[in-house]
Amino acid sequence: MTRKALLISPEICIGCRGCQTACKEWNQLDGVKTSNAGSFENPPDLIPALYNRIRYVEVPTEAEGQRWLFVSQRCMHCGDAGCMKICPAPGALYKTPEGAVAFSKEKCIGCKLCVTACPFDVPRYDKDGKISKCHLCSDRISQGLPPACAKVCPTGAIRYGERDDLIASAKKTGHEKVYGEMDLTGLGALYAFKDAPRLYGMNENPAIPESVIFWNNILKPLSYLGLGGAVALALIHYVAFGPKKNEEVTRDE
Amino acid sequence: MTNNWIDIKNSDVILVMGANPAENHPVSMKWILKAKERGAKLVVVDPRFTRTAAKADIYAAMRSGTDIAFLGGMIKYIIDHHLFFKEYVVDYTNAAFLVNPEFQCADELNGLFSGYDAKTRKYDKKTWAFQMDEKGLPKKDPSLKDPHCVFQLLKRQYSRYTRDKVSQITGTPKNKLLEVYKIFASTGRKDRAGTELYAMGWTQHTIGTQNIKAMSIIQLLLGNIGIAGGGINALRGESNVQGSTDHGLLFNSLPGYLPVANASWVDLKTYIDKNTPKTKDPKSVNWWSNRGKYITSYLKALYGNSATKENDFGYSWLPKLDEGMNCSWLMLFDQMFNGQFEGFFAWGQNPACSGSNAGKVRKALSKLKWMVNVNLFDNETGSFWRGPGENPSDIQTEVFLLPACSSIEKEGSITNSSRLAQWRYKAIDPVGESMPDAEIMNELYFRVKSLYRRKGGMFRDPIFNLTWDYGEKDTKGKVKKVDIHNVAKEINGYYLEDVIDNKANPPKLLGKKGELCATFVHLQDNGATSCGNWIFSQSYTQKDGKIINMMARRKKTDATGLGLFPEWAWCWPVNRRIIYNRASVDPLGRPWDPQRAVIKWNAVKLDPNTKKPGVWEGDVPDGPAPPMADEKGKYPFIMRADGMGAIFGPGLAEGPFPEHYEALECPLPANLMSGQRINPTMKIFHGKTKDSVEDVFASCDIRFPYVATTYRISEHWQTGVLTRHQSWQLEMAPQQFVEISEELARTKGLKNGDKVSVTSIRGKIWAVAIVTSRLRPFKIANSVVHQIGLPWCFGWQFPADGSGGDSSNLLTPTIGDANTMIPETKAFMVNIEKA
Amino acid sequence: MSNMIRKAGPFEIVNHWALAISFFALVLSGFGFLFHLEQMNALFGSFSRMRFIHNWAGVIFMVSLFLTMFTYLPVSLRLGSDDIGWILKAGGYLSKKAVVPPQDIINTGQKLYYLVFLLTGSAISASGLGIWFIAGVKKWVLISHLVHNISFDLLVTIIPLHIYLGTLANPGTFRIMVYGTVPLEWARKRHEKWVRRMGY
Repeated sequence: MTRKALLISPEICIGCRGCQTACKEWNQLDGVKTSNAGSFENPPDLIPALYNRIRYVEVPTEAEGQRWLFVSQRCMHCGDAGCMKICPAPGALYKTPEGAVAFSKEKCIGCKLCVTACPFDVPRYDKDGKISKCHLCSDRISQGLPPACAKVCPTGAIRYGERDDLIASAKKTGHEKVYGEMDLTGLGALYAFKDAPRLYGMNENPAIPESVIFWNNILKPLSYLGLGGAVALALIHYVAFGPKKNEEVTRDE
Repeated sequence: MTNNWIDIKNSDVILVMGANPAENHPVSMKWILKAKERGAKLVVVDPRFTRTAAKADIYAAMRSGTDIAFLGGMIKYIIDHHLFFKEYVVDYTNAAFLVNPEFQCADELNGLFSGYDAKTRKYDKKTWAFQMDEKGLPKKDPSLKDPHCVFQLLKRQYSRYTRDKVSQITGTPKNKLLEVYKIFASTGRKDRAGTELYAMGWTQHTIGTQNIKAMSIIQLLLGNIGIAGGGINALRGESNVQGSTDHGLLFNSLPGYLPVANASWVDLKTYIDKNTPKTKDPKSVNWWSNRGKYITSYLKALYGNSATKENDFGYSWLPKLDEGMNCSWLMLFDQMFNGQFEGFFAWGQNPACSGSNAGKVRKALSKLKWMVNVNLFDNETGSFWRGPGENPSDIQTEVFLLPACSSIEKEGSITNSSRLAQWRYKAIDPVGESMPDAEIMNELYFRVKSLYRRKGGMFRDPIFNLTWDYGEKDTKGKVKKVDIHNVAKEINGYYLEDVIDNKANPPKLLGKKGELCATFVHLQDNGATSCGNWIFSQSYTQKDGKIINMMARRKKTDATGLGLFPEWAWCWPVNRRIIYNRASVDPLGRPWDPQRAVIKWNAVKLDPNTKKPGVWEGDVPDGPAPPMADEKGKYPFIMRADGMGAIFGPGLAEGPFPEHYEALECPLPANLMSGQRINPTMKIFHGKTKDSVEDVFASCDIRFPYVATTYRISEHWQTGVLTRHQSWQLEMAPQQFVEISEELARTKGLKNGDKVSVTSIRGKIWAVAIVTSRLRPFKIANSVVHQIGLPWCFGWQFPADGSGGDSSNLLTPTIGDANTMIPETKAFMVNIEKA
Repeated sequence: MSNMIRKAGPFEIVNHWALAISFFALVLSGFGFLFHLEQMNALFGSFSRMRFIHNWAGVIFMVSLFLTMFTYLPVSLRLGSDDIGWILKAGGYLSKKAVVPPQDIINTGQKLYYLVFLLTGSAISASGLGIWFIAGVKKWVLISHLVHNISFDLLVTIIPLHIYLGTLANPGTFRIMVYGTVPLEWARKRHEKWVRRMGY
């Protein structure tokens, strides 16, 4: 199957948050008690019961006048996903055939290591200590339906489709660089930014933490090597020198 | 809407003023953004930088309530720079008409027009009339040079609306004004289309109707009415508000915008005479000349066989208003407040939160003996007696809750802003004991009728003679289950006799007795047809004996490419997707803009009905008559007696041209435009009884120095009764907030997120401060005016812990538009302090 | 039977077993996590259970490690010229003819091993707690994760050697973990200093 993706176009996002509700509805996530902290943005961050939220960014500039930017924050479904790399539980995080990074609460062991390896600070943990995040409505896309957020978006600011097609269409509408086209071997959530991604609170150069890569590439194989080496050494010694039998030990008289 | 939602995509300039579609009509943004994709410009004028403004190409901030000054400046700009569409203005509007020489504009009379009587606060409109020639037709000067012609009067009226003056009043920087004027006036060209989208931001002012009138003038000057991508488009605040207004929601209108009878119109003939405009111009269609057919067919629909020629078709059974009586919202609650009501059905509404001056409304409810609250949930209205500051033991009102089911639990039609009636199907059965509204009405009707039968009483006939053929009846005569299709059919209307067109040669059978009407053109004034709402005739029809629910159509054909989708559902009138579309072509029937042809005259093709050459192609035209230049041609504005778009509109209370007046509560001691500070004709509530201290106002009062406006947000629906019970919505918008500028926050020592109290002279609420650069202080004349914004979707009852706050309508005034009595909740004065 | 001498008391024996068993549980589950060895389910039931066991085995390991300090730390820190001699002779493991200087209750290799083990054991314990409990602070979890895995690499290298030396390489050693006693003659040859100190 070819890789699918979301194309998020903040320029045509109107901040209505239909996606935020649709997501909660489809995924049957509880409404959470919040308070207004002086912003439209709410909840103020991703939480276990919130897979997708709209960030509201006010940019007052002298030159261009007031701006108010809206952008969806959610799992980016990295091609090379840090969370999957570090996850110690097989099957807890997995790639769907469409390229979504989905999860299984049954298989999650609640170690929270994925949190540390995510370049976008996405995974959250529910009250049972299980991972909770956007899974691109893996249950919908497997049936050929778009994710709930894309389905409900009135303006097409969140579109779901073939990843290549989405990139091509973003380029056609004048977005020379599509955020996530190459990063982390390609994100599954692409952003058609005309401004610097930083303005939207996004990492300019997202990357998996170096320590995780070092661990994955060096430390992990080294453990087998160390164990194997030690056993081999013992074996060689045993064959070459044999055991130190008591009768063979000589005391320094 | 003159046009429709999808048509916005055809526009070149979209002016959003008095509306906030991104937040209140999110789906419309799809079409706005589609237009932008084509290169259209979105212009947003609003006191706040809204989510719509976030998508705008040009945003202009404007102090609440100064729209007429803003638009008047635009009219002046268009005239001064000759940017109007001359042919359109001369041929299709009343610009060339000569007005009575005694008529005086507001510039001559310091803000008043001729004929004002200060005592009655009313105009004698005698001078607001056109000069007539010997044939009884209006005198015209097509050169537009006569000093008494509408165009010259218009020029004179707005000569005072200079950019300096407008900027001083509105607080909009002069360069912004110019930017907006320039781009919008660019649509005066044939190949450019400009549309205007408005909602409550224009209507909820004491000068609300005139706000819209001012824009109508602009759109007529620019030739933007009737064309694709043009029009004046009211974005209705609920999915079915258009439908409810069409069906007689307002106190003064019967279904199909037939006026409610008043007591002085003693019989049907008088009613028809009084309400049928006349013209001597053969080129004017004067559609309302059909009034008699529509009211008679309506009476036949109401009273069936009991309505006969002899008894005036039951005209006497219609409820009547006293002459001059006004039963609008503010008046009703004022009377309720003064103890003049015993009972009240609050049906699908929450006046304790939605009513302007909600404190007065809540007090008014306590004067009732009983109240029936028909709603999905209990709300602040049904539970007013246990609300904040109320002592339940002092309140004698008995409250009943009738649980109604939601729209997805029943079948029926809704009519949206596009005038599009769409059939909807039931998704699930009603939850619990809730019932569809129609079933509740059926129950009520049967019980009221039984009461009459057992106990007798006044006004028995209107109840007993009412037709109620909505389904199979039980032994007691009660309809067991309302079949909503029968209601829809009654609205569409029936041929009660064979209807024959005798003008045709040979006479032609238009409709067979017992069948559903094909169109309102067939309606009769002799009792041969019934029709519950003439504008909906054709919505549920019959073709070759086969019954067709036109509203349930779902075909996606779009021959014009303009997105008219004529086979998707059905829209009134007669499936015309853009009204006044005869104005989209020149007098020869050629589209002004061939790229966006709504209709065009094909002189060669045979008309399938008459078999003669000449037929309109495209949308359903405003009447089948040939183009205006033809001998049998007609004027484009068929609903007007003179057939012309009204730049000079004597119908409104305040004057034939809009004039800038300040809101009842404003920050200025005087109107910078004239000596008349406020709308001279609006009704002011003085508080007739000693109890009504609620009807107080504080204008230019140092205790309440800030301009406030109210609005909705995407996350909540109206007063929030539906959405506050929805934890997902509440999570996003949990609490009453107030948007204030950084400058005001500094002045008041407020930080973002602080809890503040907002007070008007009528009430007080708390709110969370959102300190933002999206609101900026206005430079008005030589002073700084701060504006704040308050949503009105919160109420004390839910969330149950009171964490949501209470309705901002506790602050709004009891004052209404002089024509419609819509309350002025968009501009009033408050104070704000740290709580 | 020849004369026996008690080299390890019951406390030491029990503690060493606790350390050994918890360590085996930790290593097996550790490899399970690292390489997603689903075969471990046969042993632990599920990965969730495995995490539970890993964490609590870690606690046992930690306590046990702490207790070893009373037994081995003082002697391990007493390093002298004999220890240098031992190192120079590679503990006699590379030549049957090599004669090593007399050793204390544990020999130089064991002393050094213990010190390294104590350090890495402490590191893996502390970082394990870090991963377990400071989930909120990304930076510290990442550091813990790194330290945990470096220590793991070290431990899985040195422990097999320790086991080899305590079993196959030195017949008669393993019985210390079972009985705590060794033949006097055996002890005299390998731990002369200690035997002498004990007055034999």
